[in-house]
Amino acid sequence: MTPGKGGPVLEVRDLARCFGGRDGRDDALAVIEGLSLAVAEGEFVTVAGPSGSGKSTLLNMIAQIDRPSEGTIHLRGETILAPGKADLNPGWNCQIGYVTQEDNLLPWRRLLDNILLPLRAQRRLDADARTRVAALIETAGLTGFERYYPHELSGGMRKRASLVRTLAYDPPVILMDEPFGALDAQTRTELHADLLRLWSLKRKTIVFVTHDITEAIALGDRVLVLSRAPARVVDEYRVDLPRPRDVDHLIAEPAFARLYESIRQSLARQAPKARRA
Amino acid sequence: MSRPGVVIAGRLLLGLGLVLLWTLLHRVLGDHTIAGLGDIAVRLWEIAQNGVLLRDIGVTMLEAGAGLAVGGLAGFALPFLITRVPGFEAALRPFIAAAMGVPKLALAPLLILWFGIGLLSKVVFVALVVFFLLFFSTLAGIRGADPRLIAVARVLGLRELMLLREVMLPSTLPFVFASLKVALPRAISAAVVGEFIAADTGLGSYIQNAMSQADTVGVFTGVIVVTVLVVVVNAVLDHTQKRAMGWRHSAIGGF
Ligand SMILES: Nc1ncnc2c1ncn2[C@@H]1O[C@H](COP(=O)(O)OP(=O)(O)OP(=O)(O)O)[C@@H](O)[C@H]1O
Ligand SMILES: [Mg+2]
Repeated sequence: MTPGKGGPVLEVRDLARCFGGRDGRDDALAVIEGLSLAVAEGEFVTVAGPSGSGKSTLLNMIAQIDRPSEGTIHLRGETILAPGKADLNPGWNCQIGYVTQEDNLLPWRRLLDNILLPLRAQRRLDADARTRVAALIETAGLTGFERYYPHELSGGMRKRASLVRTLAYDPPVILMDEPFGALDAQTRTELHADLLRLWSLKRKTIVFVTHDITEAIALGDRVLVLSRAPARVVDEYRVDLPRPRDVDHLIAEPAFARLYESIRQSLARQAPKARRA
Repeated sequence: MSRPGVVIAGRLLLGLGLVLLWTLLHRVLGDHTIAGLGDIAVRLWEIAQNGVLLRDIGVTMLEAGAGLAVGGLAGFALPFLITRVPGFEAALRPFIAAAMGVPKLALAPLLILWFGIGLLSKVVFVALVVFFLLFFSTLAGIRGADPRLIAVARVLGLRELMLLREVMLPSTLPFVFASLKVALPRAISAAVVGEFIAADTGLGSYIQNAMSQADTVGVFTGVIVVTVLVVVVNAVLDHTQKRAMGWRHSAIGGF
């Protein structure tokens, strides 16, 4: 499915997730069904799909904070999650980072302490790490807010903080659920550039969920389009735009425009048909 | 006038009104029903002079404090222990609910029979009263903790003790303080009630003695001292809470 030396880092096979019916209805809702994907070492995969198609649910299962109904998930060939598997191991020993859709910062910890939390927990907080964190905070435009509590920050700042919190401890695989959703276009573009720069240095393996087609193309090596629930991968687009990419000028390229149009049409096919008779 | 100004003026007015009402009732109903404020002041001065006041406050607070510490810590810690084993908490719950249903007041004579008329019986009594308050609210706090926050904390590598310290304890803190606010006055009342039943020192026994001698001034003096104690202890608690939960102070706009 994916090129790359020595097979995929992350592989999802025939994943399914049902949520039990509620309010007496016993029809279980299949949010994901027969979803497979593979991500190569150092690959940046973006995932687009309609709202409610199960993108967050997919990442929850990869991060092991939710259990699939069917299917398996593999990390470097090792089966890390299967329906029968006894205990969930969220983050798989800090190998899989997860920047969730909500910021999930600890409300009772100041910004800096929130960011240092995983490093403290993993006993990796040394002078080096502190310097790295300071640089990341600077990049994310959070300098000067280190001593603020989350409720004293804007929504966008909280999202950036939660992104920095994960980048700071440097897990090899990072899942991101619309990390730039709440930001203005300008900040967004700047953070795209910063994320791409960081990524080009470290070549993390990244699965990045977004609603934004431009973002999906600008960042990704590959764009996966999910169907409406029950979600599976319906289309896959290789982004052959050269790197390093200048996100600002990318839009002007014809290759970008063609890709944009195909993805837009693919997503449009997933739009709800007028069901009401 | 600024808002704090209004509050202070209002409090002064209400206080003044209360004093007037008290004096009026004292005049109408007589010395035996309502003690005069002046007599109470004189009595307070007397017992402050001869050391009875300080001794009795000390005894009652010691009972309340020790009982609160023992019962409170147990009620706070136990929910964390029993929720570690899945299902255990559900199994235990009806028994604890039943135990809570036992009227503690009715147990007081038994406790005195078992633990004597000294400090210990009151400490146990206070501990029993406080335990259930803390137990159920801490349990509610643990159940109310945001599962997403816990999940993400685990993804970040937090385990066991650190998860407890960074996520679970702060999540339960608002619940713990809410129940402490109820538990503190209850602890002092429980100590006083315990002393009513059998004791030779403490504010409860002071009130009880005064009652048996038809000493209305003594009864009122005792009750007022207990009330002031509760108010002071509450103020200390409020202060502690503001410090411990500063992170959400400005978000909620005070308590
Ligand atoms: N715990 C749950 N119980 C029941 N249904 C759930 C649960 N979590 C998610 N769902 C359902 O699964 C579907 C997909 O949810 P999910 O959050 O994965 O969507 P999404 O693709 O991330 O959407 P968005 O782009 O709006 O974030 C929704 O219909 C939702 O109602
Ligand atoms: Mg989502």
